[in-house]
Amino acid sequence: MRHVAVVDLGYGDAGKGTVVDWLCATRPVHTVVRFNGGAQAAHNVVLRDGRHHTFAQFGAGTFHPGVRTHLSRHVVVDPLALAAEADHLTSVGVPDALDRLTVDGEALLATPYHRAANRAREIARGADRHGSCGLGVGETVAYGLAHPDEAPRVADCRNPGLLRRRLTALRDRLTAELGPLDAPPVEDCLPAFTGFAGRVAIVDRSWLAGALRAGTCVFEGAQGVLLDEWHGFHPYTTWSTTTFANADSLLTEAGQPGGATRIGVLRVVTTRHGPGPLVTEDPALPLADPHNPTNPWQGRFRFGHFDAVAHRYALAAAGGVDGLALTHVDLAGPGLRICRRYDTTDRLTPGPPGDLDRQAALTARLMRSRPVYDDPPVDWPSAVARELGAPVVLTSHGPTADDKTPHGPLLAPRPLPPVRTPAEASA
Amino acid sequence: MGSGMWSTDVYDAADRYRRKTGKSAFSYSDSGARTVHSALDPRDAMRESRDSAEHPRSTPIAVLFDVTGSMRNVPRVLQTKLPQLLGLLQRQGYASDPQIMFGAIGDATCDRVPLQVGQFESDNRMDDDLGRIVLEGGGGGQMTESYELAMYFMARHTVTDSWEKRGRRGYLFIIGDELAYPKVKAREVARVIGDDMRQDVPLRQVVDELTRRWDTYYLLPAGSHNSGNAKVLDFWRDLLGQNAVVLDDLDAVCETIALTIGLGEQAIDLDEGLRDLDRAGSGATGTVSKALARLRGGRRAEVSTLPAFRDTGGEVTRL
Repeated sequence: MRHVAVVDLGYGDAGKGTVVDWLCATRPVHTVVRFNGGAQAAHNVVLRDGRHHTFAQFGAGTFHPGVRTHLSRHVVVDPLALAAEADHLTSVGVPDALDRLTVDGEALLATPYHRAANRAREIARGADRHGSCGLGVGETVAYGLAHPDEAPRVADCRNPGLLRRRLTALRDRLTAELGPLDAPPVEDCLPAFTGFAGRVAIVDRSWLAGALRAGTCVFEGAQGVLLDEWHGFHPYTTWSTTTFANADSLLTEAGQPGGATRIGVLRVVTTRHGPGPLVTEDPALPLADPHNPTNPWQGRFRFGHFDAVAHRYALAAAGGVDGLALTHVDLAGPGLRICRRYDTTDRLTPGPPGDLDRQAALTARLMRSRPVYDDPPVDWPSAVARELGAPVVLTSHGPTADDKTPHGPLLAPRPLPPVRTPAEASA
Repeated sequence: MGSGMWSTDVYDAADRYRRKTGKSAFSYSDSGARTVHSALDPRDAMRESRDSAEHPRSTPIAVLFDVTGSMRNVPRVLQTKLPQLLGLLQRQGYASDPQIMFGAIGDATCDRVPLQVGQFESDNRMDDDLGRIVLEGGGGGQMTESYELAMYFMARHTVTDSWEKRGRRGYLFIIGDELAYPKVKAREVARVIGDDMRQDVPLRQVVDELTRRWDTYYLLPAGSHNSGNAKVLDFWRDLLGQNAVVLDDLDAVCETIALTIGLGEQAIDLDEGLRDLDRAGSGATGTVSKALARLRGGRRAEVSTLPAFRDTGGEVTRL
């Protein structure tokens, strides 16, 4: 059985959500597995009848009946935002999203204290903002690394006494460091977290192996490889591994190493939300994105010409793909150009993970680089495939699953064994 | 990448997960209970709002709403809205250490549960009291409810450190749509609250006693039977002056209460409060602005900017 893993080879917003929705629309999918990021993800899915949902923690396949979501231990779980998201899904005709959700008990818990600390720090950075979404995901990861044995985790929600102690320690540490936080008292937070534990299936890591045996799973990445914590352009990065690495490790643990077809998603327009390098940025591009409005944490949505240099770098950092999904092909017009080299270089090479000085130097270099443009390609999919050395296996011409065209056999829908429950699969 | 579009409010989330289990917010009432829950029984009860190490300067806030049939669906809407009140107050910092009590008002002449009063709580335990309230749903059709009994209880059966230690009044919000009876009847007090009064007390006298310790507001919401009835509004304006407020959108009830307190505490002026609401993404600014416009004139001269900090003496220090 072949699973599929989807990552974004840009700065996010390339269209992972719509690709995952299409995958779930065209074949039986058992579970969409989230393997990085948290509630700050924003994967927009639009249905043919106009219904729209911005998927943050639920998998972007949730509109399809029966498709589950699993939040693996690599996800930062925010039960407060999850409840609101479930409400919205109900309002657009999906009342059972919480019933189809499993969460790994080891996953870190995002709390109002992390969020308040995140905002306090980002505000203190003033003009040097990192483009944080203000939801405390990075703060949660940082605290989890500093205090691995005391960081609140999903399974703690089943144990109010333990959770109270961990929330109190968290609040006290962050308050000692940053001063009073704009967050509710611990006692007020407990009912929300225990309510979450009472409603959602919290599982251990063996659950995923069963799901992977039971049917096709789609690993849905969040953010983009150019924002990766180790390979992104430091410090304008996210506290999350955005490559295939987490998906690979989950598959290996479950006894299915290399079990997923790797899809890299790209838009014909290279975009970025938040500060940081965007070498091909061109404010004159006559584009707008209805799902990415200007917001106080990231500012306006930025558009640039197709930056093949940056995307080649992302592809190398991610360790290669089996195929590319190219979205927003309908936006390609005479004004949109392709950048194959900068005035300073025609190739960026990934370094070893963890060398942030090197990444910061790379960022400084990108800030000085100017794009060199070639004429717009006539055939965008071929041009992108040639530049990245990988086949374009899916193109997207509009927001819905109907607007997708598969190319070649890799993602072509084909008959798959019927979906079985984990119990049946192991019988 | 990314957005903060899904609400991350703890009060909201707790409520949402509760609803997702199919449990009614009025679980006690909906399970068929027709007698007052012991936690809300006013008989021989004293309700206290006290300072503590964690909450050194408590601000008592009581919200009592009419649960008779004339209010139609209003109590159920209130039940979903009011849990947000504490969070709103705490986020905006309009009042120090808010402690909130919820209660319900019926008709002592014909209802089985004419008065229900919870405890002052500074955390989500107040939600539990909301869940224990019995909805009467009947009502006599005489356009009168036992508000005077509730006001009597608030006047004589509450103790607050805010008043005792600092001489500061608490906030009482009564949400309803009918008139009070002209007298607090000794017989009803004996039956419901347990006090042995020699004689009835005129309404006006109870209101005078009450408003000495409680800054009292009457909110008349849209969607109730008598909304827009000038007789009701005139009656309460006569008793409470500008503190009788028409609320044309019940969804804005928490914001209206919070801003009223912010104005009362002189933490904000109306324009600042409306800007705070706007920034917080509230859709209620229009309703609140309209409801509180009358309060603005009387208080404007006292109004200052947001407090810079609160000094150890406890008084608000301003920029």
